[in-house]
Amino acid sequence: MKRVLPVLALTVAAVIPLWRYEPSLGTSAETAPPVPAPPVNPPDPDGESGATAPLVVRGSTVSTEKGPVEVEVTFEGERISAVRLLRQPDHPQTTAAVPTLIEETLEAQSADIDTVTGATITSDGYRESLQAAIDARGA
Amino acid sequence: MLRVEHVMGFPVSVRVDEGAGAPETAADEVFAWLREVDARFSPFRPDSEVSALDRGEIPAGAVSPELAEILGLCEHYRLATGGAFDARLPGRGLDPCAVVKGWSVQKAAELLSAAGATRYCVNAGGDVVAAGGPWRVGVRHPEHADRLCAALEITDGAVATSARYERGDHILDARTGRPATGLLSLTVVAPSLTEADATATAAFAMGARGVGWAASRDGCEVFAVDEKRRVLRTPGFPSVRAAA
Repeated sequence: MKRVLPVLALTVAAVIPLWRYEPSLGTSAETAPPVPAPPVNPPDPDGESGATAPLVVRGSTVSTEKGPVEVEVTFEGERISAVRLLRQPDHPQTTAAVPTLIEETLEAQSADIDTVTGATITSDGYRESLQAAIDARGA
Repeated sequence: MLRVEHVMGFPVSVRVDEGAGAPETAADEVFAWLREVDARFSPFRPDSEVSALDRGEIPAGAVSPELAEILGLCEHYRLATGGAFDARLPGRGLDPCAVVKGWSVQKAAELLSAAGATRYCVNAGGDVVAAGGPWRVGVRHPEHADRLCAALEITDGAVATSARYERGDHILDARTGRPATGLLSLTVVAPSLTEADATATAAFAMGARGVGWAASRDGCEVFAVDEKRRVLRTPGFPSVRAAA
C-alpha cells in the first residue's frame, strides 16, 4: 500500500482536469480513462507469482472547484488496469468561469424593432403576433 | 424582398434588403431546404430518416451525413448539460427537434449569403439569424404577448428564446422526465443559430442553473426571466434603450 498511494494521488490529479474542459464529441469522463489498457501478461510458468490478483483501492475524496471527486483504482500487480469514478461533481462541465450576472427588474416596453424573438410560435399563433404585424408593415 | 411561409408548423419570415444582391430565387432555396429538413428529420413523419432510425431500420453507422451531424450535436449538448438535454428520453422516440430547428435555419441563412445577400434577417418562429445589420430585435415579454421585455441590436449573428408561454410545458428536464421549472423565458445571442437555439433550449431544461451555464458558453450572451420575475443578464448582452 505504501507504494500505491502516490500513484493514486497522481491518478486523481489526472482525472480532475476532465471537468475543466468541455468534452469533445463522443467522449466523456466515464469513457476516457486516463490510463491505457493493461498489456496481456505472459503466462507464469512456475506459478509462484500470485501478484497479478487484482487489488481494488478506493481513493480519498478530493475537493475541486467543481465539487468533490472520488475514484476507485484497480491494480494488477503494479499496473493500473482500471479507474472508476465513484463520485463526481453533479453539475455539467463548463467552458469558462460563469460571468457575473446583472440583476434587473422585469419591464414591459415598446420599441422600434425589425423583428421579435420569442418561444417558438405556431402558425396559428402567428396571426396575432407582433412578428405578423412587423411582416405586414414590411410587405 | 419579404417572404413569409409556414414550414415545420411555424412561420418563417425571410427579409432581404433591396440592393443586398440576392435574387428572388434565394428565398425559394431557403424554403425548399426547410421543407426537405422537415421531410427527412421530423420525428412526427413515419417516412422520415429519423423515424426509420428510431425503428431500427437503418444501422446507426449508415445514417446520412446530415443526420450524423444532428446526432453529434445532440450528444454534445447532452454531455454539456449533464444530461438535462437529451434527444432520447426514456419511453419516448428519438426527438432531435431542439437541435434541428436552429441548425437548419442557420444553414438556410448560409444559403442566402452564398446567393450573394449581404443584408438579411430570417425569423423562424421566434428564432432569428441576421447579417449586415444593425438589426433591432425585440424580446417578447413572457407574460404579455403584445409587449417586449428587452430590445437588442446585432450586426451579424443569431438570437433564440426558450419559454413555455407559446406551447406549454414542452421542454422536459431529461434528468427527471418532468417539465423544466425555474425560468419563464431565456434568450441567447450567439454567432450562429445552431448554438443560440440549442443553448437556449438546453439552459431552459436545466432551470435556474441554466442561466449561469448558458452565460459560461463561449460566445453566448444571455437574458433570462426567472419565476420570481427577476431579470438576469450577462454584462455583454447587446441591449438597446427602448424608444420612448
